[in-house]
Amino acid sequence: MRDGKRSLGFYLLAGFFGLYVLFLYGPTITIAVLSFQGPNGGLTLPMNGWSFHWFGNLFQRQLVGDFGGSVRRSLALGAMVMVTTVAVSLAAGLAFRKRFRGDTAVFYLAVAGLVVPSILVSLGIGLMYAELGLDTAWYSSAFGAQLTWTLPFGLLIMFAVFSRFNPAYEEAARDLGATPWQALRHVVFPIIAPSLLGIALFGFTLSYDEFARTLLTAGSENTLPLEIYAMTTNITTPVLYALGTLTTAFSFIVIASCLAAVVLIQRRRSAQRRG
Amino acid sequence: MSSIPVAAPDGVRPAAVASPGRLSWAGAAAYLQAAPLSLVFICFLVFPVAATIVVSFFDYDSVRIIPTFTLENYRELLFSRVAWDTYLNTFRFAVLTWALTLLIGFTLSYFLAFHIRSAVWQIALSLLCTVPFWTSNVIRTISWIPFLGRNGLLNMVLLKVGLIHQPLEFLLFSDFAVVLALVHLNTFFMMVPIFNSMMRIDRSLIEAARDAGASGAQILWNVVIPLSKTGIAIGSIFVVSLVMGDFVTVRVMSGGQSASVGLMMANSIGLLQYPAAAANAVLLLVLVLALIAVIVRTVDIRRELAPKAGGSGSDA
Amino acid sequence: MTKRSSSSLTRRRLLKTGAAAGAAALVTGFPTVWAQKYTNITLRQFGTGTSNINAIAERCKQDLGIMLEMTATDTDAAIQRAVTQPKSYEIADIEYFSCKKVFPTGVLQPLDTKRIKYFENIVPIFITGKLTPESKVAQGTAPHTVEFVEGKASKTFAKAPTEWATMIPTIYNADTLGIRPDLVGRPIKNWRDLVDPAFKGKTSILNIPSIGIMDAAMVMESLGKLKYKDKGNMTKEEIDKTIAFLIETKKAGQFRAFWKSFDESVNLMASGEVIIQSMWSPAVTAVRSKGIPCVYQPLEEGYRSWASGLSVAAHVQGPLLDAAYEYINWYLSGWVGAFLNRQGYYSAVLDTAKKYMSDDEWGYWMEGKPAKGDIVAPDGKVMEHAGTVRDGGSFYERMGKVSCWNSVMDEDRYLLQKWNEFIAA
Repeated sequence: MRDGKRSLGFYLLAGFFGLYVLFLYGPTITIAVLSFQGPNGGLTLPMNGWSFHWFGNLFQRQLVGDFGGSVRRSLALGAMVMVTTVAVSLAAGLAFRKRFRGDTAVFYLAVAGLVVPSILVSLGIGLMYAELGLDTAWYSSAFGAQLTWTLPFGLLIMFAVFSRFNPAYEEAARDLGATPWQALRHVVFPIIAPSLLGIALFGFTLSYDEFARTLLTAGSENTLPLEIYAMTTNITTPVLYALGTLTTAFSFIVIASCLAAVVLIQRRRSAQRRG
Repeated sequence: MSSIPVAAPDGVRPAAVASPGRLSWAGAAAYLQAAPLSLVFICFLVFPVAATIVVSFFDYDSVRIIPTFTLENYRELLFSRVAWDTYLNTFRFAVLTWALTLLIGFTLSYFLAFHIRSAVWQIALSLLCTVPFWTSNVIRTISWIPFLGRNGLLNMVLLKVGLIHQPLEFLLFSDFAVVLALVHLNTFFMMVPIFNSMMRIDRSLIEAARDAGASGAQILWNVVIPLSKTGIAIGSIFVVSLVMGDFVTVRVMSGGQSASVGLMMANSIGLLQYPAAAANAVLLLVLVLALIAVIVRTVDIRRELAPKAGGSGSDA
Repeated sequence: MTKRSSSSLTRRRLLKTGAAAGAAALVTGFPTVWAQKYTNITLRQFGTGTSNINAIAERCKQDLGIMLEMTATDTDAAIQRAVTQPKSYEIADIEYFSCKKVFPTGVLQPLDTKRIKYFENIVPIFITGKLTPESKVAQGTAPHTVEFVEGKASKTFAKAPTEWATMIPTIYNADTLGIRPDLVGRPIKNWRDLVDPAFKGKTSILNIPSIGIMDAAMVMESLGKLKYKDKGNMTKEEIDKTIAFLIETKKAGQFRAFWKSFDESVNLMASGEVIIQSMWSPAVTAVRSKGIPCVYQPLEEGYRSWASGLSVAAHVQGPLLDAAYEYINWYLSGWVGAFLNRQGYYSAVLDTAKKYMSDDEWGYWMEGKPAKGDIVAPDGKVMEHAGTVRDGGSFYERMGKVSCWNSVMDEDRYLLQKWNEFIAA
């Protein structure tokens, strides 16, 4: 990680960080342990034997609810939100590099998206749809509701990116005769691509697990969090934990491969620089 | 979280060197680029909030909203002890959570920003903090009982280690549990903006301070904290608005024995008393905005954040 | 309804039921053959998790060819969906007290009882409010009070049975206190045991205002603190007194938690956080199926009861409506009834369900007899071993002792305010 000796402060802080991670993972560990409950086990301790039963059960039909359909809907919605968030916040991020009339208003509007409590957004959209005589659905009203949450994040990340972005590259490109579009396409884009990936990841994650804003806006077909919530009204088996454990394992794999990719790219770049 | 810590120099910006013709084109482009964002927020934020405000003045019976003008919903709210108590209670949770997440989040960011030098490790460690959030919140919520409960994992471990001789009951279904879970959920939202601010601090400033003989504490107090102000403000906005609107955590962690504004609203919604919920929502919004206004007073977020207006980070 | 007409109707109905049961005994095991007339039709149904079970949809597809799209929600969400998204469903599977709120909004249509094949065989609780001619009508929103409307286009509940039903009953049960016999350490006989200081910090009640307050009322009456005119429709004064009592109890640290959904009650009990609480019957079964002792304790003061039924959205017409009737008829024809009975609920038509249950199952679940062999859950898991007797005994013992029904009160706006006060206290 770093050269040479470390201060006492480092070890104290590292210890603190470790404790925090332990605290953060408390529920995750509990979930992992309990997902190996025996076939007669419940959602709480004590353990009633150990087995892989609930992982198998996850792929069978449940008493109520529909994992398959809701997972598909959540993935689709997550993808929609992800793409829209990246595109819209990139555009807005570019807009904010220049001054334009009303930019402050737009900025505060975006911040308001973060600040207005989720349940209010949910209620408001529900009421608005009711007054307009429209039916709420996961792909329309819930989609909009989630965007009010993911877009401000996307925009803030874009701000962070562009505040560190050195316009000299772009100017150099323009000086060499590139059109604004070409400069964007061949200079700006490659530099900010990792951050766009970050926005995409953020957008997807926030959407995939969104509950409060989706609650009153999803209409008749549930997204996964709503479906799990509804299922808890009838299912008290560790199958829910098995789902949780699989999700965690899956996220670890995704994150590990992303990291590996970053490391790989860095190596390649430094190799190119050297070679 | 990509991290090029050195801020861009205060350079000449493209628009400034552009010819007048290009400038107007750029202006039009800016509007076009900002349009989708504005549209989304107008449709899904401004209108819904407006609808909520309108409905908050409507009357209702057990099944219907009656569109007449009445102040009854507000009167019921403002003249009720319960409502005040509930708001106070929610505010208390918000303040406690804010203080704790600030303390923890700042320490964690400080560690990541100043003690971990490798970008890859920085990314890896911050991602480590996001993994638990990928498991559905609903599932995580259920797991607090086996974790903190009377016969839970934590009590089991503590008993085994010999730190306690009787299960700790206050760990679950108490105000302690509520704050614990809120801190658990929200520290990350405090940590990320502070980390981001810290990464923008010019390292040479710290070197300079050290060379001038400042102690670690002095550097922290006189250099790092003032320069992390933006991050702290943004993190605070996140945490305050998330906690003020919470309606799941408070109920689950207090075992339904504690009230929050969000919960009060959720109850009204459950009974189809939309106008009452709407009035509550409006009041909550006003309160949250007031709190945010206080936070924003201490730091001009717009100026600090947007790249245009001196956002290149070296202004402090 | 005058007293005479109700009792004569009941008697006639009982006779019929008896005859039908007799006939059923002769033809045991003959499954009805259903014409598959509606293979292209999809019915969208939503309702609580108790009855929106995938196995039912599967069997329906198999028998009728009708595709059922089921969405499980909690009670609150069910009411919301029914009222605010009336075009998003054909079948609403809602509770009777919800019906009191939902039906007057006009989102549902009255059903022609002549088209319901087994309507005459429905348990009389839903028609007259009385299980047997001698029974007293229980307090609260008794299902029969919201079962009928005055005509085909009416939204007003009728005082006596008519040809137009708001919904067709499907599932109901009698709720009481669940206990951990291994941890309470003494016999539990009354609702007031819930507030016994011996169980301080180990009790829980339901945090759904309209139902929780009735549990509290059962306790108040059991303590002799207050006598309610109608627990299901309290006056402001009664609400005040009950909430004051709850706040006092809460401040004394009597409650460990309040629960809102099925799983919470199961988890509280299974984890030992709580040893006595108001509970739902399948929740007790769920705790027991994890090998943890749990008893659904019958109490002297009787049960608090609930019922659900199927209703049809106002927009449904033509072949879709025919299919909806066909589905409801199928629902009452026995297979579903048996399925629900086996989970500890009760079916609206008893004799058809009996055909689909073994004698031992029927004896255990419905007649309060000791099980001769192991009692098996629908998924094949052993629920109860031979020799066990169902808590609370037979159908008539349990449903005959209903003290009040889940309800919507006239003062529900006030109730919510006071309930919030209790939670915030």
